[in-house]
Amino acid sequence: MAREGSTHPDLDPAKYDAAEAVKIICLGDSAVGKSKLMERFLLDEYRPQQMSTYALTLYKHKATVGNKTVAVDFWDTAGQERFQSMHPSYYYKAHACIMVFDIQRKITYKNLSMWYKELREYRPEIPCCVVANKIDADMKATQRSFNFAKKHDLPSYFVSAADGTNVVKMFRDTIRRAVEYKQNPTDFMDEVLQELEVKVYSSNVA
Amino acid sequence: MNFEAKRCGVQFSPPSIVLIYENKSTNKLRKRIIPVRKYSKDSDYRKAAETLKNHPRHRDYLQSVSQSQLERLHIILRDHMQGLSLEQSLASFRLDPEQDLNKLDDDELARKKGKMDELFEKNRKRKDDPDFVYDVEVEFSANNQEKCSWDEESDDGF
Repeated sequence: MAREGSTHPDLDPAKYDAAEAVKIICLGDSAVGKSKLMERFLLDEYRPQQMSTYALTLYKHKATVGNKTVAVDFWDTAGQERFQSMHPSYYYKAHACIMVFDIQRKITYKNLSMWYKELREYRPEIPCCVVANKIDADMKATQRSFNFAKKHDLPSYFVSAADGTNVVKMFRDTIRRAVEYKQNPTDFMDEVLQELEVKVYSSNVA
Repeated sequence: MNFEAKRCGVQFSPPSIVLIYENKSTNKLRKRIIPVRKYSKDSDYRKAAETLKNHPRHRDYLQSVSQSQLERLHIILRDHMQGLSLEQSLASFRLDPEQDLNKLDDDELARKKGKMDELFEKNRKRKDDPDFVYDVEVEFSANNQEKCSWDEESDDGF
């Protein structure tokens, strides 16, 4: 993220070009439990890096997919969601996306369409899932069918960061899909972005 | 030494955190009053709560009190120092499911998150619990699901 002049080495997008590294981003409204889900999945591994200059939190994780070890970086919003929009570098080179809402608050569900729209502007093809969090607060929610995921043909999960229901499954599925996507990418957006950067740069020089 | 917190609250004068806990080795209920020093109306409640939670003299007693509850108690103390009534202070924590929390500033959002944490902590399964299972998978059958009223309005994308 080059919002400031220099880029933090942990945020250098070039590292996501390595075969064994993937970037997974989280989207969703304030207080839907994004960080709590990360914490539940990572447990003892949970050591977030606050990148306050960039309004994001980074969690590093080592996963095993098939017989390979994969370095997974999870990007979490750290309050950036309050601008109702994320900085483009948040999406840049992401391999999968986890979209979260709170089953107790309708507005967080309604805002999924806004988050999804923005995601697809930058990453038209990456795997994405819809996560209905906090089912421990109201188990009846699991008897409702939320149409958003179905309509966009996205896998969906009923989860609870508090009691752990389906959290690990959701993350493992997403990591696997991120790795699969990486092996067979269909997004051309990064190339286009890079092309633009080069053009902007050369016109500045000229 | 093993202490289980039963209740935790504040006292305004002098500003203190009040803890009712059970001493697990004697099964006796005790009260501990922890004065909150060097804390003013401009202090950072997060730092103050964190310092208290890690304080060598108090941390054993506060182990089962969450960081967010300590933050909340520090906010109430600070509100009082700023001249707010207890009623006003407590109202700021109340949750309105219709409210758009994206529009709140850091301080207001922390209050709502703190309130949400109460339920989270209550329902939380901790990794130290004897019956803790890391990977809990539950399948919710799609067959008997009802349509969700949240989908009824024909918004874009639903």
